[in-house]
Amino acid sequence: MGERTLDALNPGEAAHVVDLDRLHPLRRRLLELGFVRGARVVVVRRAPMGDPVELRVNGTDLALRASDLLGIRVRE
Amino acid sequence: MTATVPPVTVPTNTVPPATALPRLPDEAACLQTVARLKAAHEPRVVVVGNPNTGKTTLINAVAGTNLKVGNWAGVTVEKREARLNVQGRPLLLLDLPGAYSLSPHTPEELITRTALLDEGPDVILNVLDAGNLERNLYLTLQLIDFHVPVAVALNLVDEAREKGLTVDAAALSRVLGVPVVETVASKGQGTGKLLETALKGATLGIGVRYPQAIEAAAADLIARMADLPTLPPHAHRYLALALLEGDPSVRGRLSATGHLPLIDAADAHLAALDAEGVDALIEIAEARYARAGDLARVAVPRAEARRTLSERLDRLALHPILGIPIFLALVLLVFRLTFSVASPFVDLIGGPLQTTLAGWAAAALAWFPLGRDLVVGAIIPGVGTVLSFLPTLLVLYLAMSFLEDSGYMARAAFLMDRIMRGLGLDGRAFIPLILGFGCNVPAVSATRTLERRSDRVVVSMILPFMSCSARLPVYVVFAAALFPRSGSWIVWSMYILGMAVAFAFAWALRRTSFPAEGGGVLLELPPYRFPAWRVLWKHAWRRTASFAKRARTTVLATVAGVWLLLALPAVAGGKFATVAPQDSVFGRVSEAVSPIFAPLGFGNWQATGALVPGFIAKEVVVGTLGQIYLGEQAAAPAPLSLWAGVQGAVSATWDTIKTSVSALPTVLALPRLGTDTTADQKTPLAQALAAAFTPAAGLAYLVFVLLYTPCIVTVGAIAQEHGRRIAWITVAYQMGIAWGMGFLTYQLARLWL
Repeated sequence: MGERTLDALNPGEAAHVVDLDRLHPLRRRLLELGFVRGARVVVVRRAPMGDPVELRVNGTDLALRASDLLGIRVRE
Repeated sequence: MTATVPPVTVPTNTVPPATALPRLPDEAACLQTVARLKAAHEPRVVVVGNPNTGKTTLINAVAGTNLKVGNWAGVTVEKREARLNVQGRPLLLLDLPGAYSLSPHTPEELITRTALLDEGPDVILNVLDAGNLERNLYLTLQLIDFHVPVAVALNLVDEAREKGLTVDAAALSRVLGVPVVETVASKGQGTGKLLETALKGATLGIGVRYPQAIEAAAADLIARMADLPTLPPHAHRYLALALLEGDPSVRGRLSATGHLPLIDAADAHLAALDAEGVDALIEIAEARYARAGDLARVAVPRAEARRTLSERLDRLALHPILGIPIFLALVLLVFRLTFSVASPFVDLIGGPLQTTLAGWAAAALAWFPLGRDLVVGAIIPGVGTVLSFLPTLLVLYLAMSFLEDSGYMARAAFLMDRIMRGLGLDGRAFIPLILGFGCNVPAVSATRTLERRSDRVVVSMILPFMSCSARLPVYVVFAAALFPRSGSWIVWSMYILGMAVAFAFAWALRRTSFPAEGGGVLLELPPYRFPAWRVLWKHAWRRTASFAKRARTTVLATVAGVWLLLALPAVAGGKFATVAPQDSVFGRVSEAVSPIFAPLGFGNWQATGALVPGFIAKEVVVGTLGQIYLGEQAAAPAPLSLWAGVQGAVSATWDTIKTSVSALPTVLALPRLGTDTTADQKTPLAQALAAAFTPAAGLAYLVFVLLYTPCIVTVGAIAQEHGRRIAWITVAYQMGIAWGMGFLTYQLARLWL
């Protein structure tokens, strides 16, 4: 499977980070929290109203809005 | 200082992680800093760690009663410090706010970073969550880039074990090059020898060796810093790396202190790196995570994935269908708890205690009537008003701290984010709004958790429309008097109307003065944790006490002012303090103002006058209406003997405690409004109100009370958080909106009722 953006993943799926968009508003923060190349990200669940999305990276749970997942490219 | 790094084992089933070379500390610098620590008369130990590592509990366990809590200069973030004696040696323990990294994103992180630069730390005590090593070690590796000795407290080892993680502290100490002490702060384990180890063993650690091109650029920047005496020498390497990461706050700080050549040099390096295809920000983060991963694999040789309690709880708390109902039920429970436990105490303070005190004062000051009237009519009710807030606030703060510290508030933000988006806010903004239903004052303080200033201001400005518990008595009294059959509906519709106006006002603010700032939204979901009662109690107590301190002056001054206006006669021949209310300055001014409210249906001096004390605390409106309509004698109660007074107060307190405790089981019962049960037997006040107000005017009065000017304490809280200008704008806007909505209500209701 090729590269996708993180919003394409369903709850329960996992993938590895390829890179972050240079203009991603949270780029610095995401890097610090472990969204570095090769890091494994699990999509845990969506909020009851469909958005935001809970992710697990590096043993930490955090939530991002679907619009902020667009700038995160991943591969299987 | 030597340390060998054991071979790193790479798991085969995942992408092979990058490994980073360790960077041994500079020996000369090491000796120098350790010697300085040994020589320091009172070494400064700064405590740094990620949020949710149990740092506050650890500090409490270590410092005990020596802990002093204040505020960091200019900001409303708690500053905790303690002067301690460890084996006869004095030291200063300074707790820095929780931080994920040293490139600040929040006011807390900025404080931590600034303190590390400016407070001249002699030892950095880094608190780690043993269950989440890799992420925590990212910060550790940043700290090691300072030339300051480091010691590590490996906290929450019990929790890690439950997760199936066994951390080898000795191995971690070996590969980090600094002492590591295992602790379980909540049980006081390991906390005894922590400071001793920090003082004796702390040393420069083994840091990250960044890619060659970055190390070369950093070395050049560090060389340039050697001639700049204003830059703290212990931070040279950290500052060089932060410049290469493009950290905006470090750039801002350096340019503000006249270090433009340094920034230019950093920019030249960044341009050169970029030309080689090196993105320094990413390379630095990757090198740190590669090293953190290596360290974690050494320290946690075997990890079995176990489903944690947190994950199981989240399956319920964040359930697609049940999640939101559970949240709403919890909110309801908190308010029921607050009401059931606190209201008997509120009644006690407002009733028997005040009467007793007033009785003593009246007896003691009988020789000096003017002084007696001032004390009985102004000072005791003023102090009583402040005190009567305290039980509600204490219980509310306790419940709020519990939800925050347990990790549930973060889930609430996750659940509610979608709803708040339309207002350009994120889920975290929902929490202050919900708290506002209890009391607006803590809700205003809770806006601090929001990152963007415009968000904090917008939420604070709409908060007072959330109908706080002090407004409920007004609704209940009017509903019982004017709408005996549909009372509950009237009360509920007030709450709904308040929320609708709040959202509309927020929308308007966003369109005009405070446009949404944009930028991504990241919500943390920390693991659930059972909060330590001692810490909860301390938090709640401190917040309540600071409220009392802040409210004291304003409320006293306002109550005394109202008393004075009521005492001053406005008619010829009237005597000071014995004049009838309608002939006092207060009465005359109320009468002069009252035509403004004629279009709202209650343009008489009594209704208008009762709104004034409502500015001090909204529940006072009912009491004032009682005084005005029923002619109750507020001043000069019958003097009591000292003994009878004490007896009365003691037995009233005892009754209150019994009522509070016996109310606890009913907390879980469905809320029922008192109006329906008391509908048949109207109180004298209800009868008076029914005679004085038409139903339409009563409804308009309720709408006005719901929406008009927040109480003086809330105004004070808004002024403290956002400045006086915002506070006055809020007051003015709310007056206008309240009048407009009251007008609409009266004119429409007249057609129907």
